[in-house]
Amino acid sequence: MKTLDHDGFIAALLRRLGVVTLLLIVLIIVIGLLEPRFFSRLNQLNVLRNAAFLILAAYGQMLVMIVGGFDLSVGVVAALSSIATATVMGAMGGMSCSADLSCGWTILLGVSAGVASGVLVGLINGLCVALGRVSAFMITLGMMTVVGGIVVYWTNGVPIYGIPESMTAVLGRGAWFRLPIAFWLAMAIGALLWLILNHTRLGLYLYAVGSNIQASRMTGLPTTRTLLLAYMCSGLFAAMAGILMASRIGSGQAGIGGSLMIQSIAAAVIGGVSLRGGVGKVERVIAGCLLLAIVENSLNLLRIESKLQALVMGVILLAAVSLEQLSLKRSHRD
Amino acid sequence: MINTPHSPTPSLVATGTTLVLGWLRHHALLVVSLVLLAAFSTVNSNVLSIENLRNILVQSSYLMIFAAAQMIVILTRGFDLSLGATVSLVSVVSSMAMVSLGTDSTTLQLAVGLLVAILVSASVGCVNGFAVAVLGVNPFVVTLATWNIVLTFASTVSNGFPIDGLPVAFGDWFARAAPFGLPIPLLITLAILLALAWMLLRTTFGRRLFLVGANPQAAKLGGTRNGWVLFWAYITCSILVAIGAFLLTARMGSGEPNLGGSLTMDSIAAAVIGGVSLRGGEGRISSPIIGAVFVTVLSNGMNLLRVDGSVQQITLGLVIIVALLVDRLRGSTRLV
Repeated sequence: MKTLDHDGFIAALLRRLGVVTLLLIVLIIVIGLLEPRFFSRLNQLNVLRNAAFLILAAYGQMLVMIVGGFDLSVGVVAALSSIATATVMGAMGGMSCSADLSCGWTILLGVSAGVASGVLVGLINGLCVALGRVSAFMITLGMMTVVGGIVVYWTNGVPIYGIPESMTAVLGRGAWFRLPIAFWLAMAIGALLWLILNHTRLGLYLYAVGSNIQASRMTGLPTTRTLLLAYMCSGLFAAMAGILMASRIGSGQAGIGGSLMIQSIAAAVIGGVSLRGGVGKVERVIAGCLLLAIVENSLNLLRIESKLQALVMGVILLAAVSLEQLSLKRSHRD
Repeated sequence: MINTPHSPTPSLVATGTTLVLGWLRHHALLVVSLVLLAAFSTVNSNVLSIENLRNILVQSSYLMIFAAAQMIVILTRGFDLSLGATVSLVSVVSSMAMVSLGTDSTTLQLAVGLLVAILVSASVGCVNGFAVAVLGVNPFVVTLATWNIVLTFASTVSNGFPIDGLPVAFGDWFARAAPFGLPIPLLITLAILLALAWMLLRTTFGRRLFLVGANPQAAKLGGTRNGWVLFWAYITCSILVAIGAFLLTARMGSGEPNLGGSLTMDSIAAAVIGGVSLRGGEGRISSPIIGAVFVTVLSNGMNLLRVDGSVQQITLGLVIIVALLVDRLRGSTRLV
């Protein structure tokens, strides 16, 4: 055990971040050798921006999975809030406003509408799971169908414009210290989440409820409130991802979060969040998201057909859950 | 017999009421479907035409097969999200097989088509079953992953184009034939459901399906190899899916890469609404039948009233959520 004390900062960091980080580093080296454009400044920004959207959605997925649930509605919630935001902004004349005070109001109200719609869906999910005690997977599957129908009905498949130029320029496409604003935002929220999960009573409740809900209920923890909060946060983070994606492309669209659902689940599972609840670390989930974003980017750079990317995601997810299960079995045997 | 308390003879009316109430409790959905039909017919008189009723019956017979397939895995506390994508893949691949064989012998063509359909679907079922039964991975996530994988195959195998040039006899025999005036899809579905009922109620495998779903620990202690039961549940499910997809392709007259579009949700809806419990081990052979009729009546009525497709989707989602909550309420009144 003596070596453990001496193996330095890098090894300690690796142990903390898990196998996923090692995979991430290997992947970056391999893709960098195969395709030098990977390290170009434009591509870096692109990867990190896409990763930021996924990271936000994965935070929500992680919280819900920590309390022993699932959220299949994150993708459609992102679409819903992008549309709600664009619609409100469009109605307030967002297209024509310049950088003055009225534009500020437009942005504030638009973003609030988007966030509110996401939190509302999360609240309904949470109520069904916490009070109705229905399988989270099924409820969010039903919700995915409902919200998916709503966004198509609302937009008729046509993009909704109205997001002010100033918002697109800053939130959507802006960079600060060589990193996209969206990425900074995702990191800031990640830091906050890390503090909450590791150093507050709420974090303790979240893990406790996920590990053993009966025991938590009997010891008097506020299980209902904790569950509700987890699902509402999932709605909130999915909404933020949706709003950021909308400001990136400049419009609200029904198809905006298409692959967000499966990717957020895959990222969480790769990041070591247990499907049984009670286990999950922010930093590893971020690494998982980066891994997926880089895989997707590599497929694009290597000109692999976009249709095949769903296949790759499916295979990665299947491999990740199988490996998790196998390692679990082995640890039981030991 | 000594301790049997003397029960007063209930009056005829009371017995009748209990019987009716009991019947209603189990078949409430059938009544709701009839009410729904009546309601739709007040807006559009075509709803109750013989033509349309026959149409509903035929349409729902396909969904019955898929809902029954979904029921088999839900009984074991499982799930199959890959169902719809598998239907698409089966449709495309089996059509390609039939077309590539040429037109020398129609019988051979159809036989090979059915065989390919079953093989394709069973290989998906094999992957699902292996991951769930052997590795012990959560069935939701497994089938979520295979759904994505199979969907990619379905949309790339033929570059997204439908497969034309299927033998005419395919549609004649498996979609348009009507021996004794009964549509062939309905007859085949009834035969399949009868076989399924026999399997569920009279064979060891069938009983074990219920047992593994209701109480896996007890099943294990009782000497059941749960893994095998789970594995074969996914295989059985996939074979049913293959047959359903084969029949549906016959109806379409071509191999369609997005044939299964909404079938995953529809089959889950039909099974759950029909009373298959997500807690496992609870479901009857009538569940997929009644559930499928209900879902079909709903969508048929909305189609005739020209309700927007996305609104139909919203309605179906809401119905699923309500059915889940009702299932939960029913469960909480149970003692076990």
